Amino acid sequence: MLYNVNDNIHNNNIAKYDIPTTFVRNYIGMIKVPQISNASYLIRQLPTPTAFIDTNYNIVQTSDKWSSIFDKNEACSDSKSLFAVFPNLSHKWKMVLNNCFKGNPQPMGIHQSIDCTGHEQWFEWTNAPWYDTDENIVGAIIQLSNITEAVNNELELNKKELLLEQQAEITKIGRWEYNIAENKLFWCSTTKSIHEVSPGFVPNIETALFYYKEGHSRNAISMALFEAQNNGKAWSNLKLQIITSSGKEKWVMAGGKPIYNKGKMVGLIGTFQDIHEQVEADIKTIDNEKLLRTLIDNLPVNVYIKDTESRKVLINKAECEYLGVNNPKDIIGKNDFQLYSYEVAKKSREEDLKVMNTLKPVIGKEIVRTTLSGKETSFLSSKIPLLNNKGIAYGIVGISLDITPLKEKEKELRNIINIASVQNKKLLNFAHIVSHNLRSHSANFSMLLSFLESESDENEKKSIIKMLTKASNNLLETLDNLNEVVSINTNTNIAIKEMNLNNKVVDVCKNLSPFILNSKSKIENIIPTDFEIKTVPAYLDSILTNFISNAIKYKHPERQGHIILSAERKAGYAILSIKDNGLGIDLEKYGEKLFGMYKTFHDHKDARGIGLYLTKNQIDAMNGKVEVSSEVGKGTEFKIFFNEKN
Amino acid sequence: MKKINDITIIDDDAITVFGLRKLISSSVDCSSIESYDNGKIALDAMTEFFKNGQKIPQVIFLDINMPIMDGWEFLEAFIKIPIKDKIRINIVTSSIDPFDKKQWENYKSKSHHLITFNQKPIDRNKISEITQVA
Repeated sequence: MLYNVNDNIHNNNIAKYDIPTTFVRNYIGMIKVPQISNASYLIRQLPTPTAFIDTNYNIVQTSDKWSSIFDKNEACSDSKSLFAVFPNLSHKWKMVLNNCFKGNPQPMGIHQSIDCTGHEQWFEWTNAPWYDTDENIVGAIIQLSNITEAVNNELELNKKELLLEQQAEITKIGRWEYNIAENKLFWCSTTKSIHEVSPGFVPNIETALFYYKEGHSRNAISMALFEAQNNGKAWSNLKLQIITSSGKEKWVMAGGKPIYNKGKMVGLIGTFQDIHEQVEADIKTIDNEKLLRTLIDNLPVNVYIKDTESRKVLINKAECEYLGVNNPKDIIGKNDFQLYSYEVAKKSREEDLKVMNTLKPVIGKEIVRTTLSGKETSFLSSKIPLLNNKGIAYGIVGISLDITPLKEKEKELRNIINIASVQNKKLLNFAHIVSHNLRSHSANFSMLLSFLESESDENEKKSIIKMLTKASNNLLETLDNLNEVVSINTNTNIAIKEMNLNNKVVDVCKNLSPFILNSKSKIENIIPTDFEIKTVPAYLDSILTNFISNAIKYKHPERQGHIILSAERKAGYAILSIKDNGLGIDLEKYGEKLFGMYKTFHDHKDARGIGLYLTKNQIDAMNGKVEVSSEVGKGTEFKIFFNEKN
Repeated sequence: MKKINDITIIDDDAITVFGLRKLISSSVDCSSIESYDNGKIALDAMTEFFKNGQKIPQVIFLDINMPIMDGWEFLEAFIKIPIKDKIRINIVTSSIDPFDKKQWENYKSKSHHLITFNQKPIDRNKISEITQVA
């Protein structure tokens, strides 16, 4: 019991009063009741609620204090049964009163009653036997002390403790208290259950420390205790490991602070929380995140996650490298418009929306992305919608495989196939040319020889022999031409050199000067004097000679020939332009045959149909190309492309 | 042997022309043999004959590989001239290119003229065979 009654003074004092009493007959119960005469005035003045009862529990006399508590009407204060005041008089009190009537006063008790205003009141009662002048017990004197407030406080405290206990059970937050003076440690039941000790376990500060895992945990809590005791510092949220009495490792959160009484530290109180599952879950989450990160960072593909606004929320290392940053933070939060060219971003955004709206993933689509810096990359791109638990997309996962090298290989391969097929065609064409030319010569020979055999006329014979000589010369010339073509096409180790184009043009014009002068043509060389090209010197000679002499040969008869030579660089080529104001060629008619062997288009005595064919072969052999534009009667422009990659 | 009025040779090779002339004149009875250096000159002449109501040569020897206008180009233009008579056109070539054979088949089916494909060399027997009026 918390309420301390300090002494037994009442008993003694009351016993000492010599209260004059006489017995009067109680007419109702026919029992003798003590009579109070002039002493009643004295009793009324007693400072505590006091009542005199007879052995039948009838109230004989009360102090004013008593009356003020229980009597609504002062007139009927007396001659009431005690049971009227305490309707539920406890068995204990009744027994005590009975003993009291027998002269055995007993200690106090508490009882509840309702006062005259209807409020619940708690009283501590003490009894003393009531003696008359003859020392006979005629009743009992009851003194009350109002302890309602104390009882209420106690009930409140009980309630609070219960609450605390429940809270501790639910939150798994235990309490502890340490009394420095007594060196006593208190653990609440939750703290005990966290340590897995029995409810009856009595901890002390040493064993408590010993439960902490050796090393960091025990050191940390020891330091915290030391700091608290010596410097008054509180500690909180210490994440530590304990080893329970059953040997289990557990994560706990410990907090504590000193408590003071009148400025002096008297102890420590604190909390103790089981956070094992939480920490384990956290560790697991961190492990999982690490695993995922390691996985996506080491995948040889670009991985990213975008939100509904197509902003990147996660990217892996490969994507970082592709976008040219070291830290993913430089990209996170940016959308495609901030990373790619407008066209690419617009397309990508539309695709993102489609994936998120239809929830249908795009898998392995071949795309080309251009970054803002202009870098073009081919990707096999997949976009998969990310769904929340309601089945609505909250973003997309993107996986892109860089296939640029593959694409380049493919292009290279296609190029090689192209070249091979062109070469093949050329070869077949050449084979037909060779066969045709040799066969036509041999046919002429056999025909002429058969004539010669049967010819008797000497003059005719001479003319046939002349023909045979001519045929033989033609064959030789044809063989020379074919030889030249073969050597151009078979010489794979042609030595390519840097040459000054302007100088070379000047040289060739010098060699052709009689021819040029004779035709009264004007040659205008506006090639920059420092224009260098990569070429086979002999081929350049042949190319320049052929094109320039062609331009002169096929000049328009009605005007002075004017040939302009110029040069420029474009898309990996040095381009030489040779433009004339000559006859022009009907390209629609002859375009295909322009560079064919033995094709001539002008009725010109010097046309052999071999020059352009050889030139074309030489240009091809240097990985170059030739373009022609012409208008009949106005002139022709040849553009010769020298490959700069040689 | 039926007499042939005019025979025309279209070929840029002087030796072939010489040979053909010699073969024809020694084995076929004809009043004249004309020769042209390339398809263009020949076509111009034929067109002129047609316009003036002159006789078109009954037999034409045609080379394929010629400058300025080759044999095929000549054929293409010639079959468009609305000549009622059936002209014999003997292609004479040393080519073994399958493309040329295809071209020949193509023109053969496109025209009412008799077109033959002959590989060099041409001997006397061959000449009499292919110089019959179509």
